[in-house]
Amino acid sequence: MASFIDFRNPPGSDRRADSAFRATSEPLWVRRMLIGIVLAFFILFLGLPLVVVFQGALAKGTEHFVAAFRDYDILHSVLMTLTVTLISVPANTLFGIAAAWSITRYRFFGRQALLALIDLPLWVSPVIGGLVYVLLYGRRGYMGPWLQAHDIKIIFALPGMVLATTFVTFPFVARSLIPLMQAQGCEEEEAALTLGAGGFQILRRITLPKIKWGLFYGVILCNARAMGEFGAVSVVSAKISGKTNTMPLEIERLYGDLLFADAFAVASALSLLALVTLILKTLAEWKNRRQFEAGQRALLEPTIEGATN
Amino acid sequence: MSIEITSLTKNFGAFPAVKDVSLHIKTGEMVAFLGPSGSGKTTLLRIIAGLEFANHGEIFFDGENVTMKSANERKAGFVFQSYALFNHMTIFENIAFGLRVARRSKRLTNEKIRERVLSLLETIQLSGLENRFPVQLSGGQRQRVAFARALAVEPRVLLLDEPFGALDAKVRRELRAWLTEFHNKTHLTSLFVTHDQDEAFDVADRVVIIDKGTIQQIGTPEEVRSGGGNAFVRDFLAIDI
Repeated sequence: MASFIDFRNPPGSDRRADSAFRATSEPLWVRRMLIGIVLAFFILFLGLPLVVVFQGALAKGTEHFVAAFRDYDILHSVLMTLTVTLISVPANTLFGIAAAWSITRYRFFGRQALLALIDLPLWVSPVIGGLVYVLLYGRRGYMGPWLQAHDIKIIFALPGMVLATTFVTFPFVARSLIPLMQAQGCEEEEAALTLGAGGFQILRRITLPKIKWGLFYGVILCNARAMGEFGAVSVVSAKISGKTNTMPLEIERLYGDLLFADAFAVASALSLLALVTLILKTLAEWKNRRQFEAGQRALLEPTIEGATN
Repeated sequence: MSIEITSLTKNFGAFPAVKDVSLHIKTGEMVAFLGPSGSGKTTLLRIIAGLEFANHGEIFFDGENVTMKSANERKAGFVFQSYALFNHMTIFENIAFGLRVARRSKRLTNEKIRERVLSLLETIQLSGLENRFPVQLSGGQRQRVAFARALAVEPRVLLLDEPFGALDAKVRRELRAWLTEFHNKTHLTSLFVTHDQDEAFDVADRVVIIDKGTIQQIGTPEEVRSGGGNAFVRDFLAIDI
């Protein structure tokens, strides 16, 4: 009988769970092949390009790389990207909090429609996003004559680029907050309300601390997308280097002018920003999952014993 | 504080949660809302607190019409079944919350807040735990913190939604005794929701039996138990006559 006791896999050890998992799994060669295919794809489509970007940037030596960022047009494109991002990310953060709050806290007519519309920018091509703004605010657009009469320039200028970027990055903050706020429920907010707190006090003292990591995650994602946006912005930008080019547009211009080393230098800077974003995102994801689980635990706990009304 | 409720009705879509409920609660009374799950007793309590709004009917606190007032104006002390403590704050800050968000003209000084929080911690027998976080406490301790938090703002009425629902039998009995003692001392008007008849009969001065959103019987525990109620009440309380 003693042989039934598994000394290599004592109860509760991970190996035990692992072997149970293996029992329902495919044969070894199938698993090896699948993992091999995934790894090959990963290296070919993600790993190599990243290496090539940095290699291309440093192809003419580090002096050339540094010199690229002394160029006025390139520096200006960095400035443009930062300006556009600094306006559209806070705007979408405010919108995202408001949308997540309304959708999770209230039941109103058009709630489902709003929930579906928030995702719209993920479904349509960014180029269409840009074109819509041209149709609305362009010289021949619906608002065109009025804007011209008041000497306001939106299309082929910074406001249009901010609008296009905001459109494309619309869903990220709201999307990362909605499931989190649904999991947490609103009992803590209700408790604060019965203690005499006002709406703004509840937001600042209760809701924001509860969702901070989910919010951070959404903002980071929104930021990454805003910096890298090409399609929508290229439609509404005049694409004048040193005036209305953001970093992705400047990369295209440099590449078209056969200035490969410069193009890769800007691309590597953009990639570096993406890598930093990725690290921050992973951190936020980890923290957010803990907050999410804590929220769900708090919701599930009272139902363990007996009926809820 | 006395509470007067007149023909209160609340629908969730097509579902009538509370139907034409009228009720008078005297100052200093401890009243239990007793009924099966889904009977509308929690909804009734939430309407009194201002967390839900009725479709018809009115609510008066001490003769003042509060029907249209929001929960933060009514300031009824509310204790949630799941405690609803602020998990990112210490026990001290949880209890102090209602005092900290008070309007500037009515806000206490930091020393006064500290004084009151520490004395409340003593009342709930949790002195010394003020720097802990809610997750570090047991269920019974958390529920007592929720009591203290509600009491800190000196409410005129205490509303308890299945206050002992999530606790094990022993802690339940202890807290029940503690609540009775607290009520005998302070005579704070209190309403509590429960599906446990022993709890209702043990703690309350009067019991309101609710089913399908309407009041089936109101009376002292003796009156209700004597079997004078309708068929539902007799069946629910398992009274054989």
